[in-house]
Amino acid sequence: MTVDVHAGILDRGLKLFGLIDKLVGVPSDEEIEGLFSLLPPDSRENLTALLAPELREAGLVFLNAIKQWMFDARDARALGKKIVLVPFNFPPDLVHAFDNAVPLTTEVLTTIAALALPGGAGRYWDFMQSLGLPDHICSANSVEIASLLSGKDFLPDAIISAAPGACDANSKVHEFLSQYQSIPQFLLEVPVDDTPEGKVVYGKYFRTLIRQLEELTGERLNEDRLRGVVERSNRCTELYWELFEYRKMRPCPLPNLFNLFLAPVRFCLWGTEAGIRTLEMMLETGERRRAAGLYTAEQEQCRVLWVYTSYYFDVQQLHRWMGKKGWSFLADVLSLYLPQPIDPSTWDTMVDGLVTAAWEYPMNRQMGTASMSRAWVSDMVWAARELGADCAIHCGHDACKQSWSVVSILEEELMKQAQVPLLVLHGDSWMKTTTPITVIQQELEEFIGNVVLGAKRSRRMVRRQRPAAKAADPVT
Amino acid sequence: MDYINDINQTFENKHVRAFREAGGKVVGFTCVFTPVELLDAAGVMPYRIKALGHPETDLADGRLSRFNCRFCRSCLQLGLDGTYDFLDGILESNGCDQLRGMYENWEYASAPGFFHYLKAPHQLHPDALDHYALELARLRTALEQHFGVTITDDRLRDSMVRHRRIRAKLVALDRLREQERPAMTGSEALQVVLAGGAVPASVYEELLDRLAADLAHRHVDRPRVRLLLGGAATDEPALFEAIEDVGATVVADTFCFGARSYGPLLCETKGAGDLLRTLAEIYLGGSRCPRMFDEFDGRLAFVTEAVAEARADGVILVNNKFCDLHGFDNVLLRMRLEEQGVPVLALEKEYGSPADHGRMRTRVQAFLERIGGGR
Repeated sequence: MTVDVHAGILDRGLKLFGLIDKLVGVPSDEEIEGLFSLLPPDSRENLTALLAPELREAGLVFLNAIKQWMFDARDARALGKKIVLVPFNFPPDLVHAFDNAVPLTTEVLTTIAALALPGGAGRYWDFMQSLGLPDHICSANSVEIASLLSGKDFLPDAIISAAPGACDANSKVHEFLSQYQSIPQFLLEVPVDDTPEGKVVYGKYFRTLIRQLEELTGERLNEDRLRGVVERSNRCTELYWELFEYRKMRPCPLPNLFNLFLAPVRFCLWGTEAGIRTLEMMLETGERRRAAGLYTAEQEQCRVLWVYTSYYFDVQQLHRWMGKKGWSFLADVLSLYLPQPIDPSTWDTMVDGLVTAAWEYPMNRQMGTASMSRAWVSDMVWAARELGADCAIHCGHDACKQSWSVVSILEEELMKQAQVPLLVLHGDSWMKTTTPITVIQQELEEFIGNVVLGAKRSRRMVRRQRPAAKAADPVT
Repeated sequence: MDYINDINQTFENKHVRAFREAGGKVVGFTCVFTPVELLDAAGVMPYRIKALGHPETDLADGRLSRFNCRFCRSCLQLGLDGTYDFLDGILESNGCDQLRGMYENWEYASAPGFFHYLKAPHQLHPDALDHYALELARLRTALEQHFGVTITDDRLRDSMVRHRRIRAKLVALDRLREQERPAMTGSEALQVVLAGGAVPASVYEELLDRLAADLAHRHVDRPRVRLLLGGAATDEPALFEAIEDVGATVVADTFCFGARSYGPLLCETKGAGDLLRTLAEIYLGGSRCPRMFDEFDGRLAFVTEAVAEARADGVILVNNKFCDLHGFDNVLLRMRLEEQGVPVLALEKEYGSPADHGRMRTRVQAFLERIGGGR
């Protein structure tokens, strides 16, 4: 017997995000408190965090953009459009370039459930288990897929499965949905071959996917429409890199929660006006805070790089809590996607640009390569140096067999190459019951307090005790 | 059967030792989409890495984690503790994410002499087949360069013929196993397949001929319940014995350490001329592994046909804890088989854990009672 699911994530998300329409202009703290007052504490706390004073304008733009993204999907069928379910490791720009299709991203919907819906992602997870699926599968995708399997949510017209080669769990859960609900599945395999030939075959797969989407939508991928999307994607890319400069600053003027905004912008809104507006508002916030010398704590104590995902079920008690302690959340692997501009000259240059973009998406660029450890180490050593990280955290999402299987190599190499210590935690990024946030806080406090800040204090003491070189040497 | 069982008593058996003493090189691999014909044609002995339910994982746990499947951890353990030091090289493959991690750690920690990564696509798209043929060409070059040999088309063709013959002999043994009174038990059949991955092909062919003659008039007890076993990488004779000990006979299986490694690979292929393209078609087209992401119907048909041919009363689908591929596939297979009226027991187990046997025994007993057998 399966667990009962009363409503799907999209429907519930639409109702909840519809609340945002009640806000006029930039609301006060009291207005936000009043708006969310009837929600259960978990949902209220997280939504309030997304509209915290330090990021309120950007938060509003972001929430409205996500709300509109969900409404577009809801209205798609009535407008004769197809709903295409895509995973996070795939550029939605391609689907946006079709007039008759809208993309919905599995993992973003899961995050909405985990973060905003009363009760979090638990009931969907339970439903998945009640089908007999193992408890070690990845909640990032299986929570939303459970919603679809339950028959209480929208059903997509097609599924793009872009993880074969990069993630078994992601690929299998999409295949499972395809089989269970008889929905066509289009594969975009990552060939784990870093040579030019590997890239060529990936390009071929990508073009096959375009043909499948054309068949689904009954529409050719129009060059002018594609160019419009690509130009907007390029604007997003520019803004991303401008924001990246702010992430490098000391103290980092960007609120920690901007990392949470960056991922859905890439996974859902890239190539759209909504994506551009969100990034512009984030940039404006960053500049305003930089100019005013604002930081969320008295001073920046520690710069933290999350080498994989982080935790998304209690952002008030993770991202904002870290900020208040003076710990900057520099990036996680989902916000560290390093986009490149696409040449808009011709249909082929644009498609080639999208191929490269897909190739470089988070997870593909680390786990979809010939060596997971080498690619991951290379990215994280670069990021640690570029962003000036004092330490790194691996959240230890228990379903991720790839990262768990090579994190020992990353740990050794991060220390060897960048002198950055790595804390390996264990917890589910989307399920609050696996490791409670209070335990995670405790572990972070111990690690940062003792290993990172403790080492900084020791270095300062050593410097104070050591005589200055010039004073000690009369010759110089 | 003793001459088969003896082979699996040690990892470096007498045939491996003899081969190496004669100057031969041995390369380890794990996945059944590895074209052993290429290694054979290079004069290199392909050795199928296994763990035989090895319960120790302390060295491997320092590199992998407890969230990785224990089959991979056990294999890595044997790589790190020196058991597999007799291998002259390792052939990595992307059978699953965890195997990739296992190989990366093996390479990182102990730098084996020959190390090559064979990347197999996860679909049968014509571009994927072309890409796999290219990968096979890369493997051919790597073997030639490292071992200083030339793999001629003639040698490769001869090797392909031999391995096709071996697979046909294994299929013939399956027919003996499917009889009203089977010629051997499931655990004995597993030993036969395990031995095949641990001896040179020429030796194996002779052993199979001898075995076929020995089994021609041999019968085990008439099974009270005829079972098909399928699911995740299972090279544990003890597991088969535990299941057969409670009153069933495993008359067929669909394991990669079993029928999946020869039956589907026996297929005739359309490819002509280009041997590597032909091998690509044989191995990808014949893959019944859940790592292929658009071939579920083929896997279901493989199980359904095996159930019918062996007249199995029920199916047990086992899954090693933390195996995503079979974790998903077993559920879908169970649903589809039950729709067809085939009783199924889905059994998640901890690989190489004798402590798990008691729990599994109880569940198997209950299943056998449900389908009308057991003791």
